[in-house]
Amino acid sequence: MTEQKYITAWCSVFNNKVAKNGMQLFDGKTVSIDEFVVGVYKYLQVQYPKFYKMDNLSKLGWLATEVLLKDNIEKGSYAPEQIAVVLANANASLDSDLRYLASVKDGASPALFVYTLPNIVIGEICIRNGFKGENTFYIAAHFDAAMMYRQVSETMGHKAEVCVCGWVDVFGEDYKAVLFLVETHKEGIPFSETNLKKLFESN
Amino acid sequence: MINGQYTDSPIYVAGAGIICAIGNNVGECITSFEHGAAGMGAMTYLNSVHKELPVAEVKYNNEELAAMANMPVNASRTALLSCIAAREALADAGIENIRGLRSGFISANTVGGMDKSEQFFETFTANRDAGRLRNVNNHECGSITEMVAEQLNLRDQVTTISTACSSSANAIFYAARLIRHGLLDVAVAGGTDALTKFTLNGFNTLMILDKEYCRPFDDTRAGLNLGEGAGYVVLVSEKVAASLQHIYCRFSGYNNSNDAYHQTASSPDGTGSYLAMQGALKKAKLQPADIDYINLHGTGTQNNDNAEGTAITRLFAPHVPRVSSTKSFTGHTLGASGGIEAVFSALSVKHGYVYPNLRFETPMKELQLMPETSFVKNVPLQHVLSNSFGFGGNCTSLIFSKA
Repeated sequence: MTEQKYITAWCSVFNNKVAKNGMQLFDGKTVSIDEFVVGVYKYLQVQYPKFYKMDNLSKLGWLATEVLLKDNIEKGSYAPEQIAVVLANANASLDSDLRYLASVKDGASPALFVYTLPNIVIGEICIRNGFKGENTFYIAAHFDAAMMYRQVSETMGHKAEVCVCGWVDVFGEDYKAVLFLVETHKEGIPFSETNLKKLFESN
Repeated sequence: MINGQYTDSPIYVAGAGIICAIGNNVGECITSFEHGAAGMGAMTYLNSVHKELPVAEVKYNNEELAAMANMPVNASRTALLSCIAAREALADAGIENIRGLRSGFISANTVGGMDKSEQFFETFTANRDAGRLRNVNNHECGSITEMVAEQLNLRDQVTTISTACSSSANAIFYAARLIRHGLLDVAVAGGTDALTKFTLNGFNTLMILDKEYCRPFDDTRAGLNLGEGAGYVVLVSEKVAASLQHIYCRFSGYNNSNDAYHQTASSPDGTGSYLAMQGALKKAKLQPADIDYINLHGTGTQNNDNAEGTAITRLFAPHVPRVSSTKSFTGHTLGASGGIEAVFSALSVKHGYVYPNLRFETPMKELQLMPETSFVKNVPLQHVLSNSFGFGGNCTSLIFSKA
């Protein structure tokens, strides 16, 4: 039997708002995604100049992870190898792919090119937090709670004690991030397909 | 997860095979080294608008390669190259009773069947009802490995590793681990990559392609030249090695480390490369002073050579061994480079070869590293280290030692 795991925190960044564990933290009230992500960054009051170089997918995933982990994971409480990341979305890196393609006319931009892969957002999250566990990025038309449950369970069946998982999707002005922190040895909402689905849809 | 019984027993290199811009087989490559004949030149086979960029192509079209590989002419060039080199490696190992052994094919690549997909794409974008679907059937990297494994009748463990430019170095050490865990007796391990527009355009976007022939570790270096090819070693267990007429060397150490610094660049102080070399030394139970020659990753980009050179200086100074980059001959063959350079390294241990680093004139200002510039034979080399560093900070070092 696999050990019962718990969702110890969840966070959503959607519709100009940021919420954690169902509580709204920030309302951007702005219209464009570009302004919104910078607004959230400023709200968080962190210093990470590299943030400005990221594409919107990485910015969104990075911000959501900052909110998710704040006050939940203390630095050093887990070995870097014990923290896994499993993400999914519908539009891969298409948002950056198209921006890159548009740049080709006037000399392709290396700064855009390096974001033309969906799993770069995982790299940015891992670099920021020093995570060295397994990580995977899936592309599916919709958030598939059953698949997410299966993949996270599989990943945590080996080395990982913690998993940051969920959905990070950006395409043009449409965006949505819903992330979950899953842990083995802490109480929370039981980690299950039903609860993933319920929490995802509550946002 | 590997659940076999792990033993620390030695792994041996029993066979080698290569096809690349400087030769269709191991013998031809060594002749090119002797003559100082580099493989890069004007673009001939790749259908790209960027004719200004020199490339290190295998000097045959797909029809000719298919005949050499004994494979269908519409197969991806990646598979054709793979089959030719892997078959040479297997024949070279000359394992007579291979059917009675557990044999695997661990092959790396980064482009898969992209060459065929590019053909499809051109037709398809002009007319959504056109394009031959068979040209995209083997787009995926693993598909290339499967096709070749079928040709070579290697069936017990067939898998593909794709970690950018360290792919085939990782394939080789994964194969060694499978043997050490008692899951295989023999593994053909290495990698393949054909030139495609996809890779050329990608590297061009990153502004790291030199319009001249590349100059690894030279102060005037301005980037890399892309190449293509395939390189494989045949790794065998101690038991199998004992039954063979000849072996090249022992595969004694390996490590993969990541500096998690940037999507494509190495950290300036070469943390990833340093950790990979240090880890491989530890695995081989060696000290830095034991290494006699380093086959550099040495791409010729500002970033790589600086980071790699810094890491080597940190780890080895004041006793830096002989170093050279064979990419000055073969170009950077990406997913194949670790395999090709593993073959060169195994030959170094066996025959005492030190390869020249072509076009080296001026040492880098920051580092006083002087690569070898002429081909030398019969140098007593006990331990040779081969570096392969990939995008994503994926750094791998392999060590080959006298058997």
